[in-house]
Amino acid sequence: MSNRVRRDKEDGRKGWAMVFVTISLFCIIFFAARGRFQAPVSSQAVSLALSPFQQAVSWVANEIHYVTSAVWEISTLYEQNKMLRNEVEQLRGINLQANEALAENERLRAIVGYQQTARQFDMVAARVIGRESDTWSRMIVIDRGTASGVKEDMPVVTPQGLVGRVVEAGPNSSKVQLILDPRSSVGTIVQRAESRVTGIVQGDMDNPTMPQMVNIPKNADVVEGDVIVTSGFGGIFPKGIIVGLVSSLKNDDGGLLKIGVLESAVDFQKLEDVLVITASREAPPEPIKPPPQTPGTETDPQAQAAAKVEASK
Amino acid sequence: MSNFGKLAVFVVILYVLQTSFFPLIAYHGISPDFMLLLTVSYAFLKGTEKGTLMGFLTGLLMDLATGTFLGIHAFTHLIVGNICGRFANRVYKEQFFLPVFASLGVTAFNYFILALLMVLLGYRFNPISNVQVTLLPMLIYQLAFAYPVHYLTYQLDKKLSAKETN
Repeated sequence: MSNRVRRDKEDGRKGWAMVFVTISLFCIIFFAARGRFQAPVSSQAVSLALSPFQQAVSWVANEIHYVTSAVWEISTLYEQNKMLRNEVEQLRGINLQANEALAENERLRAIVGYQQTARQFDMVAARVIGRESDTWSRMIVIDRGTASGVKEDMPVVTPQGLVGRVVEAGPNSSKVQLILDPRSSVGTIVQRAESRVTGIVQGDMDNPTMPQMVNIPKNADVVEGDVIVTSGFGGIFPKGIIVGLVSSLKNDDGGLLKIGVLESAVDFQKLEDVLVITASREAPPEPIKPPPQTPGTETDPQAQAAAKVEASK
Repeated sequence: MSNFGKLAVFVVILYVLQTSFFPLIAYHGISPDFMLLLTVSYAFLKGTEKGTLMGFLTGLLMDLATGTFLGIHAFTHLIVGNICGRFANRVYKEQFFLPVFASLGVTAFNYFILALLMVLLGYRFNPISNVQVTLLPMLIYQLAFAYPVHYLTYQLDKKLSAKETN
């Protein structure tokens, strides 16, 4: 009898413990999602312990992928060659037009005296060593951390376009939130000169491979095929990095705005190597020169004469 | 190595395979969830208490290692481990049918709890298209990998239990 009472008591205690843990976890989820609770030390410890194994396994996986894709490439070489020849013909035509546009652009720039600013990035190359299989968030783990100069909120890119940003940097690995993650938001702008409409690119839960550009006014000039680039607003992502192409447009539930469904510039399925932008700056503009003045109308004839002498030297 | 150490190594191997190898065959970013399969198998083999603990630990590992919504998997896996553990006394350990097919139901259950949490967190989505895009491929992956994961868990448990009795 006493044994039964003791067992019942123990079961009751375990039941209460279970209820306590469940409620605590429930609260943690909401506090963490609102940014009021974090577990950076334990999270970094887990990442530190797992990253060597993840690096080794991802290396093996990449090698297997490389071999299988090489075999596939060889088997489809003839068809590819035919397609590429056609593409080369088309591109030659486009190239001619582009050269014309480039020359015109330079002429126009010279006319309006526009100084082109070259953006310079310091980058760290990293390999993707882990990827989440979860259906609700999109994160990857890369093999570079604070030891390589990677810090939180640094943008991550590939030559094709924007990948995401670093949300947590450990010593030898970092977690990157992809632009496909519903928590991510990137300030963007339509690249087309006549449009320049701004919007925010967010991950879409309904379509995990295609992010959405939201907050577009209904009458805004955005069409399918428009290239979307980062706007530089918000200070995390530098301006001008390609995010994707507008694949389709749909109306927002409210009816006042529309949403652009984007085809991301980066193929997230085949993401193996990325670049972390550790520093971004614009090249210093050229020193301002006094504009040439008509002889006889100089505001400061002496300075003008001195400038002429300087120029002749 | 202690039994706990062997189990921990097994969990880590499965987790590393899940995050670093199986994304190779991911469909639209969705790949098999070995941690959930392991929780189901372990709970069916070891009962409520250990199943709940395993669910909590595998979920916490996922939350901490990838930076998803903290606590979300620990919460769902804990519930899954607890529920599946309740059937441990009613299932023959050698019988693989129930654990393997239960993993399908559990995956759907886990998906719906997560969906509910996401709605409570303020995220909106179309349930029908979301089920088509995410749940269906996930179920196919889970069905394909439920047997190997359960077999490995069963073999490991058998070895560990034999060591304990000796």
